[in-house]
Formats: sequence, structure tokens, C-alpha cells
Amino acid sequence: MTEVTGDRTGQAIDVVTASVIQGALESIAVEMGHKLMRMSYSSIIRESEDFGAALTDAEGRQIAETPQSTPLQSGPIPGYVKGIKQIFEERGHTFAPGDVIIHNSAYHGASHGPDVAFCIPVFYADVLVGFSVTTAHHLDIGALTPGSCGIVDAIDAYAEGLQFLALKIIDQGVRNEPLWQMLRNNIRASDLVVGDMDAQIAAARIGADRLVELLDRYGPATISAAADFMMDHSERMMRQAIAEMPDGEYSATTHLDGFIDAENPAHRDLPITVSLTVKGSDITVDFTGTADQVSDRPINMPMEGTTDCAVWLTLKSILLDSAIHGDVPQNSGMTRPITIIAPEGSLVNPIFPAPTIARFCTGNQAADTVMKALAQVVPEKVSAGVGNLHVVSFSGLRGGEHWVHMEIHEGCYGGRLGKDGMDAVDTLYANTRNNPIEDLESHLPLRVHRYELRDEACPPGRWRGGIGSVREVEFLEDGGVSVEGEGHVHAPWGFDGGSSGETAHMSFRPTQGNERRLPSKLPNLSTRAGDRIEVVGPSGGGYGNPFERDPIQVCEDVIDGYLSPERALTDYGVVITEELTVDDAATTRSRAG
Amino acid sequence: MLMIGVDVGGTFTDIIFTDTESGETHTHKTPTTPDDPSRGVINGIHELCQRNNVPAADIDHVLHGTTIATNAVLEHDGAVTGMITNEGFRDVLHIGRHQRPLNYSIMQDIPWQHTPLIKRRHRKVVRERRVPPLGEIIEPLNEDDVRAAARELRAAGVESVAICFLFSYIDSSHEDRARDIVLEEIPGAFVTTSASVSPQFREFERFTTAAMNAFIGPGVRSYISEIGGKLEAEGMAADLHIMGSHGGVATAEMVSEKPILTLLSGPAAGVLGGQWTATGDVERRNLITFDIGGTSADIGLIVDGVYSEATARDTSIGGFPVLVSMIDITTIGAGGGSIAYVDSGGAFKVGPQSAGSQPGPAAYGRGGAEPTVSDANVVLGRLDANNFLGGEMELDLDAAKKVISKLAGQLGMSDVETAEGVLTILNNNMANAIRSRTVQKGLDPRDFSLVAFGGAGPLHGADVADALGIPEVVIPPHPGITSASGLLTTDLKYDLLKTSFQISGDVDLGRMNADFAELEAMLLAQYTADGLDPGGIEMQRTGDLRYVGQGYELRVTVPPGVLDDNSMEMVWQEFSARHEAEYGHAFPDNSIEVVNIRLSGKGQMPKISRRNVTGGGTAASALVRTGSCVFRVEDRLQEFETGYYRRDELAEGAVVDGPAVILQQDTTTVVPPTWRAKIVLGGNMILNKGELS
Repeated sequence: MTEVTGDRTGQAIDVVTASVIQGALESIAVEMGHKLMRMSYSSIIRESEDFGAALTDAEGRQIAETPQSTPLQSGPIPGYVKGIKQIFEERGHTFAPGDVIIHNSAYHGASHGPDVAFCIPVFYADVLVGFSVTTAHHLDIGALTPGSCGIVDAIDAYAEGLQFLALKIIDQGVRNEPLWQMLRNNIRASDLVVGDMDAQIAAARIGADRLVELLDRYGPATISAAADFMMDHSERMMRQAIAEMPDGEYSATTHLDGFIDAENPAHRDLPITVSLTVKGSDITVDFTGTADQVSDRPINMPMEGTTDCAVWLTLKSILLDSAIHGDVPQNSGMTRPITIIAPEGSLVNPIFPAPTIARFCTGNQAADTVMKALAQVVPEKVSAGVGNLHVVSFSGLRGGEHWVHMEIHEGCYGGRLGKDGMDAVDTLYANTRNNPIEDLESHLPLRVHRYELRDEACPPGRWRGGIGSVREVEFLEDGGVSVEGEGHVHAPWGFDGGSSGETAHMSFRPTQGNERRLPSKLPNLSTRAGDRIEVVGPSGGGYGNPFERDPIQVCEDVIDGYLSPERALTDYGVVITEELTVDDAATTRSRAG
Repeated sequence: MLMIGVDVGGTFTDIIFTDTESGETHTHKTPTTPDDPSRGVINGIHELCQRNNVPAADIDHVLHGTTIATNAVLEHDGAVTGMITNEGFRDVLHIGRHQRPLNYSIMQDIPWQHTPLIKRRHRKVVRERRVPPLGEIIEPLNEDDVRAAARELRAAGVESVAICFLFSYIDSSHEDRARDIVLEEIPGAFVTTSASVSPQFREFERFTTAAMNAFIGPGVRSYISEIGGKLEAEGMAADLHIMGSHGGVATAEMVSEKPILTLLSGPAAGVLGGQWTATGDVERRNLITFDIGGTSADIGLIVDGVYSEATARDTSIGGFPVLVSMIDITTIGAGGGSIAYVDSGGAFKVGPQSAGSQPGPAAYGRGGAEPTVSDANVVLGRLDANNFLGGEMELDLDAAKKVISKLAGQLGMSDVETAEGVLTILNNNMANAIRSRTVQKGLDPRDFSLVAFGGAGPLHGADVADALGIPEVVIPPHPGITSASGLLTTDLKYDLLKTSFQISGDVDLGRMNADFAELEAMLLAQYTADGLDPGGIEMQRTGDLRYVGQGYELRVTVPPGVLDDNSMEMVWQEFSARHEAEYGHAFPDNSIEVVNIRLSGKGQMPKISRRNVTGGGTAASALVRTGSCVFRVEDRLQEFETGYYRRDELAEGAVVDGPAVILQQDTTTVVPPTWRAKIVLGGNMILNKGELS
């Protein structure tokens, strides 16, 4: 082991020290995430794990993130820091020890308004050395209707709720009380939200303190050299993976429902187009051809914070799949080989004040489109079309106080080479958790009547698509519900001879009146006690020709109740006997015919 | 009282005998027999008794640590299992919390979907529904549905059934009734109800716990009856107890019913063994137990003489969550066999892949071609090629040098720098794991002693202690059999709990007192059934508390006796203090919720006696040879003339100055320069840098 020189070029560090510091930085990020999750109050953070925590260097480059977070939360953190720095520069503000900065501007790096960041500048020997940042999805941010999801009728950024543009909510250790007061006065369920914000600040402080302890141990030059080493390392890993692919251009298009019942055709069936250009160890992801922004509906994706993350995280999941490559550290080096072209004024790079609060499903669809393009060049690393998600906000008033509950309803994956799709899971850039029914019903006026896999929704393929879920919830008191979902019109794509998946749908079952279908974007709907809503998630696309599926596997699916014997015959050409075994001879005949 | 402890490990079965009156103690090692571990257990007991003239028939107690349940889960080798659950909720086990285990992976497998404990075809639904908060029935149990489901399961060849209803933790009578019906329809079946294994909320986790119990149940039950039969065939009438993950033993009958209690049997015994040594012989109260084998390091924490228990949300095995009491043990993939490598991006890594014992490190000469931690230790002279395992196995120094040299070539570093780098990375991985249990929970490692054991713990103990500022390392007399001796230090322990959901400011004290009284009655009935005097049972009340709205609870002690407002005030205050310590922050204005109440019972078992296992010599007489060893001092790698000593020659009070390597049959202890080792009471060895006490 050679001595560390701490050279300003940043490369002068031995591999042993680099490895040791990397472990220490990751351990700090883990601690931040762990404590945030455990201290927080609202289920969207503590149960769904819709939060992030990361450390960046003074330039805002991410050097470590908590693994226990949803990728769409930690991923944007460098963007938040960049946005804050930019605003500070414009205003001539400076960072000082003891500052805590609140930020959520989707046009300055934030993922969308409800994902509020608390950012602490870290000083060492009076020099700014980095930022400790936590993000989390808050229950309510003061939008036009309760909750912070399903705000699908916000017409511009102002209708989405409070905008915090890099404000010192704690200024050199002093709480900015008027700002806190204004926040409390304009947000529903503010006790919960403020409790969560306090937890975020506490967790970010832990990160800052630990970073200073690490600096005490190794000194700023060594830490900085280690950070450079880590970023270079992740960059090399990504470059190698890209270079393994043949140079070329690979394109794909998928469609969003948009607003199914909108009169304006520009609000429906919106294309997302991706052209990937692989050249050596670089990749360019070009969204030219994607639909124009929807200027008065909030399904537009901020370029920084959503579009970029959707691209980065999808490329990482496919090219550096953790199940195959182990954990490749997620940091700003990873993204250096990737260039994103997103036409201004399009769905993937809107212009202020186009609303963005309900961009979740759009981003996941963009991620799916990136995978569809990559399927042409690395078919062994992708799944067929992924089923998108539904985010549902339940709310009501109890004794004059709002209660708000958000539940992310899962999608599923398409079939994969050699493997069936993952059933009923959160997908792509989201990885949250559902809420235990026993917790939900113990604390809220809701009752769940059904939560299981869909019936007869098993998309055919040599490796079948994942099966979606169905969930039916009853209101026990009067309240309201709003939803942002996708995939009611356009089914997940099949691949290489596999069938398309199944579309999602949603129904409302009022106590009075008839059952009716709901659109995938549902603005707040007032509900009465006894009303029920059923969300049926999509099933993923099939992979490969179903007539090549192992008949035994087909038979197993019949036995497990995923598939009827009739569908086994029509979809797979497999003849199942009354004893639920494969009739080999008849199957051979049927498949030959 | 004559007692035997038997711990079955991956490679060896360790046996320890003690006569609690005379203090006579013997130990023995025999190869584990993986196809039928009971054979190794009986062989070992038989051999130990023969060699030492111990009359097997007179042995009173056999205490057993087993991995049989763990292996069944990890190898997915269990019974054909069925489930009976609520209509509308057939796939709770399959959907889980709908979270993927890996954030960044398309090709991953989700354990509960890829290798389900219960296949969908065997998950049957029946009409039944209770609702909170009091368990009101909105759909009565449909017994015909249950009967029909049981018949279908029987026809499908199911031998074990988990019965899992929503909200059964409030009232388990429907699960109990369904169990009776299943037993009528499938006589002899192994039936588990979710409320009986873990009566607490969160359905996926509770149902999975029940499913896992059912999955491993028939196998464990027959293993235990096998052991019982073989002991009898040896002419032994000893009581058989099995080590549980929770830090106590349970009767064979209890474990036959709830094998899920034994998932961390071996590691738990290790923590107890470390605790026994260091709290007893050398009177330390704050300990970090540090058990390193070939593939992993198990880290436990003892604060003020009490081991910490894991919170229910943190316990899992093979990727499946399990809601049962366990000692809080952090396991990381770092051991003697951990493989060092340079990844394709140029980063230097150690583990978690391990060469295991087959082929093992290159130095074992069994064809291992990857550089491992043990190879690094050999290259640096810390493992003595001619004195490994008491000389029973010769190490291949050239093979070790060759693999380290190859790695050095990839890194562009010298062999010695590379070998030392392997240890530095490994030791820091372990130090990070210890920090997560101490610094991150508001505990200062400088207030702790590190108890290092297992085959590789004493090799790394001093370096890891150094990295954390831990002032001393305690090495038990027989570090390689610490788990087996831990078995002889246990109590008969049962843990009960009840979900409570009561909130500060609005506590129904009548219900709280009634709930504790109910748990106490259940506990005493269990001990009475086990033949213990209820008067001698030690009971400890705790609660799982959180601020209202939070999702994670912290464990807090609850005072004994009838609870009133004053005693609840103590509980609230302790919770706030715990929250502050755990997270570095408290929310003093917020209400607090009691989520679960818990009661643990301890019935005294006889224990191994303290004994002195030391030689009669001095450092000078114990010196085997001297040789060159490499250590980093003042940030420079330097060669030191180092003494190699035989530990069994050292008398109590003997002091060995570092740098030194101390050899014994089951491990090697490294005493770096600036450290010293001293043999103290009980044959323990203490390593530290300052004054020796």
C-alpha cells in the first residue's frame, strides 16, 4: 500500500484506501436511509419506502446513496443539488454551516413537487466539502385536492401546491419560523407532513455529521480522491457494458393512455419514442418523436429528476443487473457515458409552468420504452413489456382533520429469457412497498375486500408475462379518491413471438347507482361510506413463442389456477387431460397443426 | 449434574461435556454428517463418553444447537405444504410487499415467487373475516369450506398445513377451530396457525412465518424424534433441549411444534458462549461478540450484561421475513475463505463469495485457485504453515503465495502490500458492520470489549478493535467451540407477545393489565407442563412502542406488577430516551403507541462450571520459534521478528508482548506490535495496548 498523496488531480489514491472509504461512505448512506424510514410517520415513507438519501461532493456529484430507497428518490439528488446551487448563484446567496435548505422545484432538479428535499451543506475546516441530502414523497403539498398523487387536473405548476425554490428553512441553525408557519397553514395533514420533514432533517444531519467524522479520519484530499476513484470505477463498469454491445441505432415507441376520456385528441394515446445510439462505450438516448408536452395536464416529466433517472436506472438495471454483476455503486460516474436528448416542449422535457405532479407513470413508460429499444440488441438481458402502476390517494375528514393515505398499486414484468415475468411487483424506476392490510384497517376507515392475482390474465409466451393484481377497497366513512394510473388502453408489448400483456382497468362500485369503469387518470372523486373501488393492474408481455413453452410448465400454470385448460390449448397448443396432466401425443399433434 | 452440549456446524460437530459438581469438562470434535446430522451427534457423544470414561446413562441433560431448520429453508428442502386462508387473499404469500429484493435488476428471482414455501395450487381460501380493532366477525368461519379445503389438500398429498386468517392476532379462535377440522380430515398432519407462531400484525410477514414453520415442521419433528430415539438406543435418559434463536433453549416437544424458533440456533449459542466467558470470568458488561468462520462473521452485542434482540421487522432468512424472537446477530459475508478479487472496473474487493471448506483457500492444498483471506494471513506469516489446527493440517505456503502474487500483479502492488490490503479491506468491512450496531445506535465502541472466537476471530480481533478504538479483545480458552459451550449456559426461555395498539393519554389500563395477566398465566402453564417450579421462573415484561403514525417499533421495558399511570409514565420516558439514542432525535410532543406487549420467561437450567484451563509455563517456555511477520505500524508496512507461542503452555498471569502469534488447536491469535496478551482467570486471554488488568 503506497502513501496517499492527496494530489489535486484526484487520481492519487491506492485501491485499498479507496475500497475502505467507499465502504464507509455507503455505510453512512445506509444509516441515513435506515433512520429516515424508521423515524418517519406517513406510510408512503415508512411502509412504501418512497424516500431517498445520498451524499454528494461540493460540486453536487453523488458519491453514495442508500440502497434502501426507491430509485426515483435517490437518483435525482444530484439534480436537486445542482438546482439549489444554480438558484443560490442567481440570487447571490451563499451556503453557511448550520443551514438546511428545502427544495422541490421540478424545473430545478426536483423529481416533482411532493418529493421535497432537505439539503445540508457540509463544511470541513470552513470549506464547503459536500452535501447531505434526503428526499421523500410527502402526503400533501397543498395542491388543489387532498393528497399528493392523483392530482391529474392541475393545469399548471402553481396548481400543484407549494413551490420551495432553494429556501433556507433553517438558517445557520435558526429555524425560519414564518416559513414553517406558512407551510403548516397551506398543507393538509400538516402534523404528519412536518413530522416527516423533521425526520428528513434529522437523517440528513446524521449524514453530515458522519461525513465530517470520516473527513477527520482521512482528510478532505483523500476523501475527494476516493470519491473520484469510485466515480471513475462506476463509469468504467458502465462503459464496459455499453462497449459490449455492437455499435448501432435501436429505436422503439410505446404509447401512454394519457387522458382516455379527454375531448382533445392531443391528450390521448401519447407516443414515447426512444432512439438509442451505441457508439463505442458511449450511448445516446434520443426522445425525438415523443409527444409534445400536455400544457394543461400534469403528466409531463421534468427532464432533470425524472426523465434522466428513468434512463439511467433502466440502463443500469439491464446492463449492470445487480443479480449478475453484484452491487455496482450508484454515483455520478455511472451516468457519464450516457447522453440524453429530450426535445424542449415535449412530454419528456416540458417548459415551465407546464404541470408535472402526476409524471410517475409517464416516467415508468419512458423506462419501458428504453428497455424495448435495448431488447433488439441485448434480448438476453431484458423483459418483455412491463405493466405500469397506479398511485391511489384515499382521503377524508375526521373531526375536522384530514387523513390522507397513498397506496401504490403494483404492475408486473414481462417474460424474460429463461424466466417468467415477475408477478405483481413494483416496476422499473419505482420500488416501493404496499401497506399491510392489518395496519391499514387498524388505522384508517378503509376495508380491503380482495387482494390477489388476477384471474385468467396470464399472457402467453415461451416465458409468460408476469400476472397483475386485483385490489378492492371499501370506504367505511365518506371521503374521496383520486388516481394516476396507466395502461388501460395500451397493453405491455410482447417480445420475440410472445403475446402482448393485459391492460389494466379500474371500477367504481357505489352503494347507490351502478358500477362504472374509471379512467386511468381520476381526479378527486367524492365517495360515500360503503362505496368501493377496484383496481386491476396490468399483466406483462410474453417472451418467445408460446408454442415452444415446456408443456409441463403450461400444465403447472393450469394446476396453479393461472390458466384454464381451454386457454392452454388455444394459447399454447397444449392438451391438458381431466387429471391435469399433459396429453403428450395430442399436444404434439396440436402444436404441429 | 452431568450435561452435554452438541453444536452441529457445517464442517464439524462440536461436543462439550461438563460435570457441574466436580467441574470436570471435556471437549470433542467430529465430522458433521450432512446426510443425517443425528448420526454425527450420536457418534460424537459416544466417542466423547468412551474417551473420557463418562457414563452415558448418567447424563442428565443434552443441549443441542442445530442447523436442521436453517438448512431446510436455505436449501428449500421442506414438506409439501398447504395453506388455508381468507377468501380474496389467496396470494398474500406471493405478492408479499410487492417490492423487488433488488432495485437494479431485471433478471432477479423473487424468493417467495421463485421458490414459494406453499405453491398456489395448495393455497385454499375459505369464507371468514374479522375486522379491527376488537376482532368483530363480519363473516363467520365457514367450516364446510375448511373441511372441503382440507380434503383437497389431503388428496393432493399435502402433509403440513398453515392456517392463516387476517386479524387472527386479535382473536385466534377461528384459526384454532380450522386446525381441529384439518386434523380431523388429515390425521397426523403437521398443522400451524399463524397466531400461534407469531400473534402480531402484518399479514405477509406473519403468514410467511407460519408457512415457513409448516414447511420445515415435519422434517424437524422427525429429526428430533430421531435424536431422541438414538439417545435412548445409547441407553441415555437425558432430557433433550434445543437451542432457540432467542437465546434460550426450548424442550424437544416445543421445538417439534415450532421449529421456526431454531433458525439461528448455532449463532445464538455463540453469542451466549461469548457472553458467558466475558461477563463471568473477566467480568465485562459491554461486549461485542465476534464469531468468524470460513464464510461469514456473526456479530452480536451485549450491553450491560444483556444481549440485544432483533426487532421483528429486521429478521429474515433466505430472503423470507420471519416474525420470531431472535438475538440480534449481524451476519456479513466475511471469513477466512472470503475471496479477494479485482472487479472489471478496477476496484479491489474481498468477499462475500467464499471458497468455503471445499476447495477452501489455496493454502489448504485442495485445489483452491482463488486468493482468500487465509492465504493473505499465510503470506504475512500470521498463520503458521506448520502449526495450523495444532499441527493436524499442513498449509501450502507456496500455493498461498502464488494466488496472492497473481492478485498483486493485477493490482500493480507488491505481494505483501496486497496481502495486507486484503486484510485491511476485510477488517474494515467488519468494522463497518460493528459501527452499524454501536456508533449508529448511540453506543461508543470504546466502552466495549470485543470477544473474538470461531476459527478466524482471534486472527482479526486486534486489528478490528484498533479500527474502532475498542480497547481490548477477549479470547475464550477454546474459541473454536464457543457455541457448544454456550449451550451449557442457557436457560429454558419462552417469549410471548400480544398486539395491543394502545396510545399514550388514552391507555385502557384494565385491558393492559388483563393482557399481561393472560400472558403470565400462559407462560406459567408452559413451564408447569415442562416440569419446572413456577415459583422459580424469572419474568421480564417489555413492549414494542412507536410514536403514533410511525411504522417501526422500539423495545422498551415495562415494570412488573399492576400497571398504573405512574408506571406508564416511566414507559413513555424510556421510549423517548431509546428513540433519542437509536435515531439521534426524539419527538417529545407526539403521542406514543404501544404496538405489542411482550413477556419473556426464564427457567433456570444447570450451567457449565467455571474452570481453569491453563498451562504452567511462561512466555519463554511457550515459545515455539520465531519468524518474520509483516505488520503496519505508523502507516508503514514493516517486517518484525515475531514469536510463535503455544497457548496451552501459558499459565494464568503469563504475558506475551506483541508482535506475537499464539497457536492453539482450534485457532490462531495475532498480537500485533504495540499490543500485549495476558492469560487471565478461566484460561481467557486478554489483548490490549495499555495496562493489563
